[in-house]
Amino acid sequence: MSVFAELDLEPRPLLGAALATLALGGAVALGSRGGRWLDPALLGYLLATLFACFGVAYRYFSWIERPATRMYFWHTLRTLLSPKALKALPRMAVLTLDQIFLQRFIEKRSLKRWGAHALLAWGCMLGFAVTLPLVFGWVRFTSDGLNPDRYQAWLFGIPAGSFPLGSFQAFVSFHVLDLAAAMVIAGCALSLIRRKQDEGDAATQRFDLDLLPLVLLIAVSTTGLMLTASEKWLQGRNFGTLAYLHELTVILLLLGLPFGKLFHIVQRPAQVGVAIYKAEGEAEGRLACKGCGAGFIRANQRRDLEALWKVLELDGARHGGTVHHLDLCPMCKRRLVAKAQGARLHGAFDPFATIPVYAEPISDPISMKS
Amino acid sequence: MVPQDYGFFIDPQRCIGCRSCVGACAECGTHRGRSMIHLDEMDRFDSPQTVPTVCMHCEDPICAQVCPSDAIKRSEDGVVHAAQKPRCIGCQNCELSCPFGVPIVFSGLEQMLKCDLCYDRTSVGHKPMCATVCPSQALLFVRKDEVANLRHNKPLRDFLIGSVRVKTRNAIMVPDPDTPLHLDAALLIDGGL
Repeated sequence: MSVFAELDLEPRPLLGAALATLALGGAVALGSRGGRWLDPALLGYLLATLFACFGVAYRYFSWIERPATRMYFWHTLRTLLSPKALKALPRMAVLTLDQIFLQRFIEKRSLKRWGAHALLAWGCMLGFAVTLPLVFGWVRFTSDGLNPDRYQAWLFGIPAGSFPLGSFQAFVSFHVLDLAAAMVIAGCALSLIRRKQDEGDAATQRFDLDLLPLVLLIAVSTTGLMLTASEKWLQGRNFGTLAYLHELTVILLLLGLPFGKLFHIVQRPAQVGVAIYKAEGEAEGRLACKGCGAGFIRANQRRDLEALWKVLELDGARHGGTVHHLDLCPMCKRRLVAKAQGARLHGAFDPFATIPVYAEPISDPISMKS
Repeated sequence: MVPQDYGFFIDPQRCIGCRSCVGACAECGTHRGRSMIHLDEMDRFDSPQTVPTVCMHCEDPICAQVCPSDAIKRSEDGVVHAAQKPRCIGCQNCELSCPFGVPIVFSGLEQMLKCDLCYDRTSVGHKPMCATVCPSQALLFVRKDEVANLRHNKPLRDFLIGSVRVKTRNAIMVPDPDTPLHLDAALLIDGGL
C-alpha cells in the first residue's frame, strides 16, 4: 500500500485501469484458448502490452476526470445511449473516416505535416493490426505438417486457410510489417526534417515529448527491417541478437505509450464527439452577445460552460448580477479592457496622458535586439 | 526561456490603428501566415480609437482550465502557449472563456492558435514582432525597470471580473496600478446594465 501512496495514484482511474487490463487479459486468455496458442517468443511483447494497457487506461480515466473533459465525455456517452444515436451514427462514421483515418484536418494545417503524419499513423496502424493479434495468440501461422510447402493460418485456434510458401499471399503475409516499417521510417524522417525547418516547432519542441517518440519509432522499424535483411540476405546471421534488440525497442515504445506524446492517439477520437456536440448546438441556435448583440455562442455550450465555470470556482465572473462574462463575445471582451483602461485614465481618450513616444528613448545599451 | 526581467506593456490609448502589428504578427514562426493580434475599433461612429489585443499570459489561465484535452500549457517563464497541435480538438471552450477574448479557433483545422509572445523570437533574445514594428509603442516590450523612464503610467497585471481575480504576465498601463482593473460590462453597454 505504501508504494501506491508514494505513487499518489487516484482510486477511480486505478480501478478503471485495473478493469481494462483484466478485460484485455481475459480477451487474450479466451482468444488464445487458455494460452495454448500464445507464442512463447512473443511473451515479452505481451507483458509490455498489458503494462501499456494499464498505463494508457489510467491516464485516460485521469484525463476524463478533468471537469472540462468530463463535460464532453458524458455528453457523447448520453448521445450514444439515447435514441439520437441512430441519427448521429452515420455522421459519426463519416467524421471518423475523415478525421481519424484520413486525418484531413492535418492536411488543412499543413500538407507537409499531413504527409509525414499519414505515413506515421497508417504505418503504425498497419503494424499494430498485424502484431497485436499475433502477440495475443489470436492469429498464428504454422507449417503444414503433411505438406511442408504450405503455411497454415489459425484464427483463435481454428484453422483459417493455408497457402503455398511461394504464393503472393505468403509474400504479403511475410512482408506486411516491412511495408509498415518503411512507412513509419519515411514518416519519422519527414517529421524530423519538418521540425528542423519550422522555426515555431524548433522553438517550442522538447526532446522527451516531441523527438524521443520519433527516435523510438525509427529504432523499432529499423531493427524490424534488419530482421528481414538478416533472414533474406545474411543467411540469418545475428538474427537472435537482432530479435532481442527489436523486442527491447518495442517494449520501450510500449512502456512509454502512457506517458508521452503518443497518448494523443487515445485522445483524438474526442474530436468526433465535439463535432456532434457542435452540430447539436447549431440546431439549437446561437445566443446574442450582451455587449454588441451579435449571435456568437451556441446555446448548449453556453449552458455547459456556465456549469463548468461554477465547478472551476469562476462563477463570480458576473457583471451586475445579470450579465455573465460568458455572455460577452470575444470582441466585446477586448473592447472592455480598453474601456476599463480609458475609464481609469479619467475618462475619454487623452493624447497627452502619456509622454510623447520618442521623448525619452530607450537608453539601455544592452536592450533586446529588434 | 523568455527573460524574466523583460515585460510586455500594452497601452491601447497610444494605438493609432496603423495595422503594422497585424501584418508583422503573421510573420511569427509559430503561426506563420496567420495574424494572432486583434485590432478592434472601439466605436467606429464616434471615434478613431483602435484597440490592439495580444494574449495577457495569465498566471492561472482560464483557457487552460476549460480545455478538455489539456492542450494549453504555461511554460516556466510564464508564457501561455497555443494549444498543442496533437491534442487540440477545436471545441472552442478557450475562445469563449478567455477573459480577454484572445484565442482563435480555426474550424476545419480543429486548432486553436493564439499569441504566444513570439516564442521563437523572445526565447532567443528578440522582441515580439508586434512590439518591434509598433510606431507609437502602444505595444512595448522592454526591460521592466526601463518602463518607469518611458511612461507616466505604471504597469498593472491584476484584473477583476465580478469577484474573479485574474493575474497576468503582460501589463496594461494605468496611473494607479495598486487597484485591480475592474472589467465591468456596464462600461460597454450604453445606459449601463
